[in-house]
Amino acid sequence: MRFISTAVLLLLSKIIFAQDSLSQMLDQEVNKEIKGKKQYSYATFKGTHLVNSRTIETLGKHELDFRVSHRFGDIAGDYGGEKNFFGLENSTDIRIAFDYGITDRLTVGVSRAKGATAVRQLYEASLKYKLLRQTDDNSMPITVTAFTNAVASSMASNIKANTPDHFESFADRMSFASQLLIARKFSDRFSLMVMPTWIHTNYVIHNDQNDVFAAGIAGRLKLTNRMAIIADYFKVFRNSNSIASFKENGLKFYNPLGIGVEFETGGHVFDFTFTNSTAILENQFIPYTTTSWTQWRFRWGFNLSRIFSLKKSK
Amino acid sequence: MKKISKLALFAVLLYSANAGAQGKWYTRNGKINFFSETSAENIDASNNEVFSLLDQDKNEVAFQVLITGFKFSKALMQDHFNENFMETSKFPKATFQGVIADPSKVDFTKDGDYNVNITGNLTMHGVSNKVTIPAHIHVADKKIAGESKFDVKLADYKIKVPEIVTQQVSDKVAVSVNCQYEPYAR
Repeated sequence: MRFISTAVLLLLSKIIFAQDSLSQMLDQEVNKEIKGKKQYSYATFKGTHLVNSRTIETLGKHELDFRVSHRFGDIAGDYGGEKNFFGLENSTDIRIAFDYGITDRLTVGVSRAKGATAVRQLYEASLKYKLLRQTDDNSMPITVTAFTNAVASSMASNIKANTPDHFESFADRMSFASQLLIARKFSDRFSLMVMPTWIHTNYVIHNDQNDVFAAGIAGRLKLTNRMAIIADYFKVFRNSNSIASFKENGLKFYNPLGIGVEFETGGHVFDFTFTNSTAILENQFIPYTTTSWTQWRFRWGFNLSRIFSLKKSK
Repeated sequence: MKKISKLALFAVLLYSANAGAQGKWYTRNGKINFFSETSAENIDASNNEVFSLLDQDKNEVAFQVLITGFKFSKALMQDHFNENFMETSKFPKATFQGVIADPSKVDFTKDGDYNVNITGNLTMHGVSNKVTIPAHIHVADKKIAGESKFDVKLADYKIKVPEIVTQQVSDKVAVSVNCQYEPYAR
């Protein structure tokens, strides 16, 4: 009995095997091969920035990103409106940046920004490194990138003591932003990111904070292959002492919120944005945003990026 | 006695099962290159992970390639290729199944060079087209090499080139395939 059943089983397996077509056999081989291989998610975001925030994206090896960002004046309210054509005749901040991919995971950058607080004429050097990469099989569900920069102001020191731009040494001119960027590409259309952030400013006025922490959240929703909605928001944690002290001088802190539309045209990325923050560098817009959406004190802005590949094609 | 007949049957079945794999050739590291040429920009990509089976008795061939395996010299192009052109997450593979249209022109058991035509279905970006492509088969030292060059029109596979980059991307790309087959051992 057992003999017969063994024979039937073997015979059956033989029949099944013989019915395999060549393409089905190939399917099996390919599936076997794919199983053991990790595929990393690509294009979680398009480019290295959203509205105000950075993204987890680093540049490809030997790629150069030339980036210009612009923030205009208040759209309306006391400082905007028709008299300066809804802010378009003012610029609160302008930044010109070059970033370069040393490897696919490590990007270095330099930039110059006008600066939007009392501290202006800013030079920035930055490092970005992709620590973890999201995989398609979710064995790694997130991408994590570390970012840090050092910013120095080249402006003449204010002779008046206890002002933000009163510099007694070069160190007084410096500030630093450090971030952990954690993102997940949920689908082809939607990616979400959280950004624990630490801003350290070497010299601050009395009752201000050298260290300010913030928690950021950002997202991108693709509407078409070339167009997406982007947004980012930072919840800034300041101590009550500094809030009260600035309030005495008529200044209130707000959390920066940016919303924009992103257009991608093969090599170029163009963001058309609205944000209440005036500054472009984290070192300023996170601790020092004092303009609010609710008083019409938000503005048009744009980010323009052009990527050049410096790798020789074969 | 019973035991011996059992063994014999087992051996016979095993042999016949193995016979199915004979006359088949396999590679998993074949190469595909494609090249798009316009006055503004040349784009080239290569994939060194082409899977292919060749059945010399039935004169059949099958190819599969993962779209993500195409490597570009520029990383940005690779993202665009996957995201905007091939929609790789929806259509991860390109496949070809075909038969040698003129099998009398090739003798897989004899060393030599043979030029044949292969007719079959080429599928990519979710679209299948019946195509006939020329191929060169080289048999030597109990190994088979296959080579083919053909053009693919993007419109045939509903691959849309956005107007803004029509200057940079040709509407027709030149594809070349190169496979070194080994005997298929299942």
